[in-house]
Amino acid sequence: MNDKYILKKDHLRPLLRRLSKQCRMVLPVKNKQGDTLFTEVSSLEDCNIDLDSQALASPKQFLLPQVETIFTYSVARDGGYSFTSVDSAEPTIYFGLRSCDLSAILYMDVIFLQKVKDPYYLQKRQNSILVSFGCPEPFDNCFCNATKSGPFLEFGFDLQFTDLGDRYFVEIGRVKGEELVNLHRHFFTAASKDDIKDQYQASLEARGQFKRQVHVDQAIKRLAADDVPESIWNDLSLRCQDCGGCAYICPTCTCFTIRDQPISAEKGERVRAWDACTFAGFTAMAGGHNPVDHRAHAIRKRFLHKLLFDVQKHGRPSCVGCGRCVNMCFGGVDIIRFVDMVCET
Amino acid sequence: MAGLATTLGSGAMTNSINEVENAQVVLVSGSNTTNTHPQVARRIFDAVDRGAKLIVIDPRRTKLAEYAHIHLDIRPGTDIPLLNAMMRIILDENLIDDVFIEMRTENFHALRDMLYRIDLHETAAITGVSLDKISMAAQLYARAQKAVICYCLGVTQHICGTDNVQNYSNLAMLTGHLEQEDTGVDPLRGHSNVQGACDMGALPAVYPGYQAVSEPRVREKFARAWKTELPAAPGLTLLDMTHGRADGDMRGMLIFGENPMLSDPTLGKVRETLGRLDFLAVTDIYLTETAAMADVVFPAVSFAEKTGTITNSERRVQLVRQAIEPIGDSRPDYWIIMELSRRLGYPMEYDSPAEIMEEIAMLTPIYGGVYYDRLESGWGLQWPCVDRGHAGTPFLHKYSFTRGRGQFVPTRHMPASEKVDAEFPMIMITGRFYHHYHTGTMTRKSPTLNREGGEAVVQVNPEDVKTLKLRHGDLVRLTSRRGSIAVKVDSTDQVSPGYLFTTFHFAEAPVNELTVDARDPKANCPEFKISAVRIEKVGL
Repeated sequence: MNDKYILKKDHLRPLLRRLSKQCRMVLPVKNKQGDTLFTEVSSLEDCNIDLDSQALASPKQFLLPQVETIFTYSVARDGGYSFTSVDSAEPTIYFGLRSCDLSAILYMDVIFLQKVKDPYYLQKRQNSILVSFGCPEPFDNCFCNATKSGPFLEFGFDLQFTDLGDRYFVEIGRVKGEELVNLHRHFFTAASKDDIKDQYQASLEARGQFKRQVHVDQAIKRLAADDVPESIWNDLSLRCQDCGGCAYICPTCTCFTIRDQPISAEKGERVRAWDACTFAGFTAMAGGHNPVDHRAHAIRKRFLHKLLFDVQKHGRPSCVGCGRCVNMCFGGVDIIRFVDMVCET
Repeated sequence: MAGLATTLGSGAMTNSINEVENAQVVLVSGSNTTNTHPQVARRIFDAVDRGAKLIVIDPRRTKLAEYAHIHLDIRPGTDIPLLNAMMRIILDENLIDDVFIEMRTENFHALRDMLYRIDLHETAAITGVSLDKISMAAQLYARAQKAVICYCLGVTQHICGTDNVQNYSNLAMLTGHLEQEDTGVDPLRGHSNVQGACDMGALPAVYPGYQAVSEPRVREKFARAWKTELPAAPGLTLLDMTHGRADGDMRGMLIFGENPMLSDPTLGKVRETLGRLDFLAVTDIYLTETAAMADVVFPAVSFAEKTGTITNSERRVQLVRQAIEPIGDSRPDYWIIMELSRRLGYPMEYDSPAEIMEEIAMLTPIYGGVYYDRLESGWGLQWPCVDRGHAGTPFLHKYSFTRGRGQFVPTRHMPASEKVDAEFPMIMITGRFYHHYHTGTMTRKSPTLNREGGEAVVQVNPEDVKTLKLRHGDLVRLTSRRGSIAVKVDSTDQVSPGYLFTTFHFAEAPVNELTVDARDPKANCPEFKISAVRIEKVGL
């Protein structure tokens, strides 16, 4: 099977137009204010698709919405409850994911689908086609080379695009990608040996382009050896402003909280909403006691989870090196600073 | 506002927020910046990362105070003696900026003479901070080339609030830390768009752009534009209204987006005043405690449902764009005002907020170049922005102060209006927590924020907790000479022994039942920061 193709750049928009008629599309769009965000697009007209910038947020919100109704309930006059489940997953193509975004989705698969299968996530995931773009030039705060989640991926995508200047090099990773190409076969031509060489060259060059050296491996080793001074946590927590922004923006932070909220006198809904381990309420007990000293340890759990616990549990860190928390954090206590601090001590 | 207006001629941040990161010394006073102004705190951290020294003046051990290189944990209300001591040390060490004082300021001799008369040890003793520490801070601040002072309500909400501010500006002028980039005096405003509200004349004695009501020329200009006659006397101050004036002739009130039934001091008086009115109308997005007392409530739209501008602490006018259609029968504030005005026989005909801004630009010199089309792109405009060609003003007082010469105003310690005694032995400071905003009208509707802080607590030092035989989480009664509320104990060393800290977010425990009604005679800002109270365990 030939699984490498070429798509001319001129043919990208026509292809997207065709795809958008077939199913729901989510792709990076630059809005009027100049911000690029993953956006659900119903029509490609007047849509400023931006494949050159890093989207401000990862596509996490589409697979794990910030607030998601998982069922509704109503109370009858006699006091009996009845429940209605919510089905909402329609087939969706996620186009223009970056390697880090895709790696993060693969990590979410581990969390939500490995042992107990989360039905709400599963539904959306089964209905998704993931088309990623390798990154020929990393952005300012990127370090996916250090977390081994980019700049190009070997597997995990349905399709992976590489920008070769005048054309895209398209690799098939999974059956859904193959089906998509077969369905729209006339858009693609088979890749030549030169194309394959060019793509290999681009992926090699990308590795040398990182602006930041982040020694994630070394930090992981030190954390595993418990070779990190206690004072580091207090120093970091003092600057943490408790906004939860790092967890909300993080493509692999999947902690959620569940609550019931009324809609009317007889009806209500159960929702799950993003949560953040950096909040005091995340660990507070009903009686008010908090086993975590919040002032000194506000962000300890988060960093340990990313670089210690997940390494122990899944064999790899759950930071994908996207660098989004670096721009987000008001206190400047993002994961890069943490890794630097751990390595310096 | 009044303090800096007297000394410098303009009551706003002299710098831009991002200039803070270039300062060599950042002096923060009466501001829990990480909690209340995270975007400013971010610049303070950046400055420290670049090697700046951080000095925090705060009776509480906030996170920022703990992070600071020097924390001056003064007794509440002793800013003036602290600064007088600092300035005396700067004078003694000859660290003053002679050239700046000579060229740009006036009345220096009055300040110098006053400073030479004070006894350093006595003055330091009033503050409760060691003279060594004060001296270290003074020298650090004075020796820096670029030093920024950020202060907030911990400085202004005292009976001597205006004097406090003037003394901070004395300190900055004494050392020449003004009139340049990255160095200045920066009041952080306590409320989103409070700068804009002041700019638009929501103050008793000025029209938009701080143009005095008392000035006949100004009055005529506005009268001509509005085709109406305008009163020559200034309006009433906030507490003159909500605490009722002695002559008590107020019969009706229209309140926009304020909740004085929770936010004003001595709530008993507010309740009485509002209850006595013939007619009360309130405009708000939720039915607040104040709206609940109203004869008519106008449902206003939230920020997401309207287009308008917000002016932030650094005088930056920014556009807020409507994102969703108004929900239910709610209407934009300007629509409500226009409609009321029309029915009262004075039709206003503005088609859009942009048209209103055009009138603002025409009548308000500092907003002279602020138009919606200019705000569409970029990050807004910083006033003064006098005409369309003007790019805005990142920092104030370049080459000369707004009032001409900067004026030194010597100030003396003024004890708080209320003292502790055997019956009310503790000092209560009020303020905010991170997760709630003001009277909680909006934030208390968020489950996540409520989980972080869903009920009123009072911070008590662990030593006091022990002496009073309390435990963390106990329900206690706080009682002042004016009222009493029940709150839970939060045992923490963020407050010193003898002091309590609590917030005004919670209607179930309205702390302003307790606060004093004393206020700064110049700016009329209430003394929220100091009330004498006693604390007792509530029996089950």
